[in-house]
Amino acid sequence: MWKNFCTLFKKDCRMLVSGKFLLMATGFLILYTAYVNLGYVRFMEKEIYNVYLYDPEGIQINVSPLVQSVPTREALDAALLEDTGGVGLSVSSGDVQVVLYEATKQIDRHRADYALSLLHPSPSRIPEQIGTNTPEQKARKEITCELLFFELSAVGFLGIAAVLFKEKSMGVIRVHATLPFQKNLFVISKLAVFLLSDLCYAVLLTLVNVGLSEGTAVLPAVLIQTAILSLVMALTGLLCALLLKDFRQFTLAYLLIAVFAASPVFLSANTAVKFDWIGFHPFYHFYMGLKDAYFGMPIMPGDYTISGFAIMILFFSVQLAFRKEMGKEG
Amino acid sequence: MIKVKNLTFSYSKDKRALHGLDFTVEEGEIFGFLGPNGSGKSTTQKILTGILKGHSGEVSLFGQDISVAHSREFLAKIGVLFEFPYLYANLSAVDNLNYFSSFYPREQRRDVEELLELLEFKTDFLRKPVSSYSKGMRQRVSMARALLNSPKLLFLDEPTSGLDPSGAVLFRNIIEQERKKGTTVFVTTHNMMDADLLCDRVAFISNGSLVALDTPKHLKEENSNHQVAIEYLYQGQRETKTIETRALDGGLPFEHDEIISIHSQEPTLEDVFIQYTGRGLN
Repeated sequence: MWKNFCTLFKKDCRMLVSGKFLLMATGFLILYTAYVNLGYVRFMEKEIYNVYLYDPEGIQINVSPLVQSVPTREALDAALLEDTGGVGLSVSSGDVQVVLYEATKQIDRHRADYALSLLHPSPSRIPEQIGTNTPEQKARKEITCELLFFELSAVGFLGIAAVLFKEKSMGVIRVHATLPFQKNLFVISKLAVFLLSDLCYAVLLTLVNVGLSEGTAVLPAVLIQTAILSLVMALTGLLCALLLKDFRQFTLAYLLIAVFAASPVFLSANTAVKFDWIGFHPFYHFYMGLKDAYFGMPIMPGDYTISGFAIMILFFSVQLAFRKEMGKEG
Repeated sequence: MIKVKNLTFSYSKDKRALHGLDFTVEEGEIFGFLGPNGSGKSTTQKILTGILKGHSGEVSLFGQDISVAHSREFLAKIGVLFEFPYLYANLSAVDNLNYFSSFYPREQRRDVEELLELLEFKTDFLRKPVSSYSKGMRQRVSMARALLNSPKLLFLDEPTSGLDPSGAVLFRNIIEQERKKGTTVFVTTHNMMDADLLCDRVAFISNGSLVALDTPKHLKEENSNHQVAIEYLYQGQRETKTIETRALDGGLPFEHDEIISIHSQEPTLEDVFIQYTGRGLN
């Protein structure tokens, strides 16, 4: 059995290499790393909104150094025209008047409150900070978690389906029906190859982008969550590839998963937007599990039980679909 | 080697594919299974190779009931050539065969390169990916795959498909050689020439039922009108006469100067098939 597994594993590795999957994964790893280090972290360090102050009489004296003064009302309008996300404060008539280009109600209120808070900065307003992560560490962990989740749920899913569609189109699945080996191994070897490649990917992505010491500390928990998501996505990819007729049909299913399944998860997990039904969305729990792992939060044992159960159901469904595929006409 | 009694199979409640097939295949026999598309030959072959389950009736292979027979030990004893050459297109012929061969016990495995040589495979393509092969070359690699475990029972689906005439002759010779070693061969084909030249017995299947089973020779004799067509010259005129073969017992029963040709009017296997089923094979 072990010998047969090794043969299948070796063949699946070759399929992965010949399908340029590893090359694509390496490319994505470089791209993500460049984005995190050259774009995202720097972007997160920036002030959220520029605040411009027109105060011809110099009434505001304790303003924050983050406020940029302008000499005239025309200069204030010109600054806002150039930086439409910025906020203007005009005190020409004695009262403070907030001037801004309209966005959404909540954001506008936030922009105005932020700008006004800079007029009277006070040490009592500095919030108590909890947690040990610096803003940069937090930003790195958040974005690494998002990228890993995207890689596992979208790119990995696509990769395994592409390999299986290739085998399906070559008809070799039917040949395996007549070979003397345990048929479960055909699926298990593919899962093993993708699991291994996903775990390696998670290690590299985490160590490179979160940092060596921080990354090493969170890695065990991250790898457990990666393994769970990798198995779920690989099995879903296999099931889709076995049930759907061709890669075109699969692309539609892929779009459905990528757009309609992943977007509400990102929205609910990372913004103030909360959908009432998000608790029923399985991807949300997988994402939160991964995020908790990055931030050192404990994972509920019940979550592992449910994940294990889901993996078993998917595995048996894949087995059924695989046997059906083996019996198809030539 | 193969015993099938009252074999029925349905894909769904209202779609019965096989209606009580009865036949046996003796050890060392080349048995032809002929039928048009959709007649049930692939379904029968899939049941015999263990791919399809859920049939009713009695089927035994190697003297064992099929439910017991389809273990890994059983699969190690059979070789299957599919209708299409199913191979890994990104791997070479040698890599494909080494891969498939590694699932069989070491003592059963044949040397991959020797097999390819036997099948007259072009040596400069041995290490090139299958995607660069012609259909005939792929068929040769597929045949090598079916033979690489020295099978006791060989299932061949359209073995000469995609081959040129010399390739077809080579394949027929190889199948004959396998039979000489004691291998039982179950051939599913549309090709009447293959069936006629190769098979010890043939079964005709139509709409899921067996309509005839005998040696090609008997089938043709039984359905023959026992006539010969004779072309001859008489007084400078070229003439043709069709007469009963019995009429030849006392010599040619007509005057002639020179015989040009004598043709037996025995039907071809395809003619016999049409007589039994009312339709052609294609």
